[in-house]
Amino acid sequence: MASSAETTVRTASGIQMQHGDHIDTIESVDAVFRAQRKLSFAYGAVFFVVTLAIPAMSVWWESWYATPVWGGFTVNYLVVSLLYYLFLWGLSYTYIKKADKLDETLSHMADEIAAETAVAPVGGGENG
Amino acid sequence: MGNLNVIAIVMVIGLTIFTVGLAIFVRRFTRTTADFYLAGRKVGTIANASAISGDYLSAASFLGVAAAVYASGLDGVWYAAGFAGGFIVVVLFIASALRRFGEYTVADFAYGRFGSDRIRLVTVVMVLLTSLFYMAPQMYGAGTTWTVLVGAGIFGLSPYNTGVVIVGLIIMFYVMVGGMKGTTLNQIVQFWWLWTAMFLVVVFAFTAGKFSYPATLAEVTAENHRDVKTHTVADLTADDGALLASVEGAMSPEAFEEVQAVVDAGDPAATVGVLVPAKNKLHTLRDMFFNEPGHRYNSFDQFSMVLALVLGTAGLPHILNRYYTNPSGAAARRSTFWVLIFIGTFYILAPIAGLAGRQIIDNAWRAGTAPANAAYVDGLLLKSDAIMPTIAQILGGEWLMGAVAAGAFAAMFSTTGGLLIASASAIGHDVYEKYINPGGSEARKVFVGKASVLFFAFVALGIGLGIPAVGLDKAYPALIAMMVTWAFAVGAGAFVPMLLTGIWWKQTTERGAIAGMIVGGGGSFFFIIMNILKQLGRLPDEGVLAFMGSLTFPTLFTFPAALLTIIIVSKLDGQLPKNVDEIWMRIHGTASERHERDMGTDKVGSMFSSGGK
Repeated sequence: MASSAETTVRTASGIQMQHGDHIDTIESVDAVFRAQRKLSFAYGAVFFVVTLAIPAMSVWWESWYATPVWGGFTVNYLVVSLLYYLFLWGLSYTYIKKADKLDETLSHMADEIAAETAVAPVGGGENG
Repeated sequence: MGNLNVIAIVMVIGLTIFTVGLAIFVRRFTRTTADFYLAGRKVGTIANASAISGDYLSAASFLGVAAAVYASGLDGVWYAAGFAGGFIVVVLFIASALRRFGEYTVADFAYGRFGSDRIRLVTVVMVLLTSLFYMAPQMYGAGTTWTVLVGAGIFGLSPYNTGVVIVGLIIMFYVMVGGMKGTTLNQIVQFWWLWTAMFLVVVFAFTAGKFSYPATLAEVTAENHRDVKTHTVADLTADDGALLASVEGAMSPEAFEEVQAVVDAGDPAATVGVLVPAKNKLHTLRDMFFNEPGHRYNSFDQFSMVLALVLGTAGLPHILNRYYTNPSGAAARRSTFWVLIFIGTFYILAPIAGLAGRQIIDNAWRAGTAPANAAYVDGLLLKSDAIMPTIAQILGGEWLMGAVAAGAFAAMFSTTGGLLIASASAIGHDVYEKYINPGGSEARKVFVGKASVLFFAFVALGIGLGIPAVGLDKAYPALIAMMVTWAFAVGAGAFVPMLLTGIWWKQTTERGAIAGMIVGGGGSFFFIIMNILKQLGRLPDEGVLAFMGSLTFPTLFTFPAALLTIIIVSKLDGQLPKNVDEIWMRIHGTASERHERDMGTDKVGSMFSSGGK
């Protein structure tokens, strides 16, 4: 259930949800969704390309998996045992920073869109 | 009777009493079902990250990763990297939306998103399946660690079975008295114990063990990789003794003499531990070396394992449940980042311990100082899953072994505790509260939750006892890590496609989601059972069944198949929930969070306040 008191309002043009002074309309939520999807899937693409490139190189690139570069470390071993974590930390850190910033931007945008699209209820509200 | 490690046993008992005491201490704060299942949704970012890490760092991570590296080299290192990488999928695609939607369990999400009882029940079945797959390696780890730690059983039970029974009973007790709030605190304490124990083993390896990461890796790689196997005399002498000749080439002359003595005794059914040259399954024309891929996985499995590991984390019900304990979507993201830091550092250390074991255990065995409770074949552990307590005893005596054994039991307690809660939620909350007795009192609901915990604990106990009985412990070289990855594969097939499409594709229908869960979860379960049967020698060597049994991890098939099924069935079906806009707004709407930010209620509260939020 939603974590704050929620009022669901059905209007002639659709549905809107109100929490305190803030309103979500389907237009504002769709705008937020598209922006979040763009960010998440862009980072997701980077993550999967890098992650799956490692076994791909393990299969097809001999210098990657069979040539020692530091003691017994091959590049393959070095990446999987150490460097991959730096990639994960860097990726998650930059993503979270961007996501927090996006949240900030979207909250203003959502308020603006909701202000433009929210309409007076036709059938009254229902507390959810 | 094995060697009793008294100091180590006292340390294990000490940690056990502490965790049970902690569970009892927080009992007075468990008043509502929200408290029992979700710690009242008041767990802070770092605390929740520690608790998620404690939930996540199971026996598979603590014992199994080092064991997998010890047994399989680079293919084993992937377990660590994949276990960590999975949280990226969680933070990118799942965490915030799940928290915003705000339900207790994955089944609640499925019900809330798709609006049918059918999908809730299908989800419950998949939750139970995944949880049981995940509990099995914890119980196996309990038996294995007990064997090395105590080396003796009670009431006529073997040391292994004694470990399984005792750990099962303790977990049952503390989850029942504490619920999730109890396990949240325990998981925080236990995670940091685990992390410290792993850190100490590695520090001791570098100092007392004279370990050098690049140099030891080069040393271990200098000769071909060898596998520890148990064979009958009949196997060894078949085909004019071809296998025996191979064994002779792989073992030291002194160790081979012992094998030869068993063979000369003439009992064809007698079994003996031997070393055989490992085959390279990826580059079949190359010899197998520790630092190269291919010991366990062919090209299909290289990709499939990585996918199972990175997608499976997002499909673990006890981890997903934890996301509801965050005070906001942003806090859920921050929790995940800290989880990545905590477990990432742990997973860098675990493969070091596995590699160090190849050198340090071998040296100790040749010097005659290796712990007596573990079994060895020419300097290698017969069961690689015993590596952590064994190497700890060699490096730091009973104190370090005590820290490691206590950590291992802590891992089993925290993870199994979380899984029992997830299973109890599935039955107590998703079935009992929704269908059997919707108007029941809070006390009655909590009672049913606890009864469910008891039931699933007994099931887990039965599985733990059954593993050696069917010979599964001899069928895989590093069983703990393997078993837990099966749970990942089932979760990745059953839940992740449903969650991804449910969150990110509005046109997903209830029928599509159910079909996807059945194809993904059911398909994974089927292929895993086939692989087990093949490893146990119950399937033919050639033909369709043999092919089906050859997929160690089916995720490369099952995940896209489930995703495709959801898309196709949803397109054909077209029956969206009537209130799909409202649902969409609950998943992606931000008015609630904006309001909470205005009110300051997105901040973390105290875990010890007794009221709900």
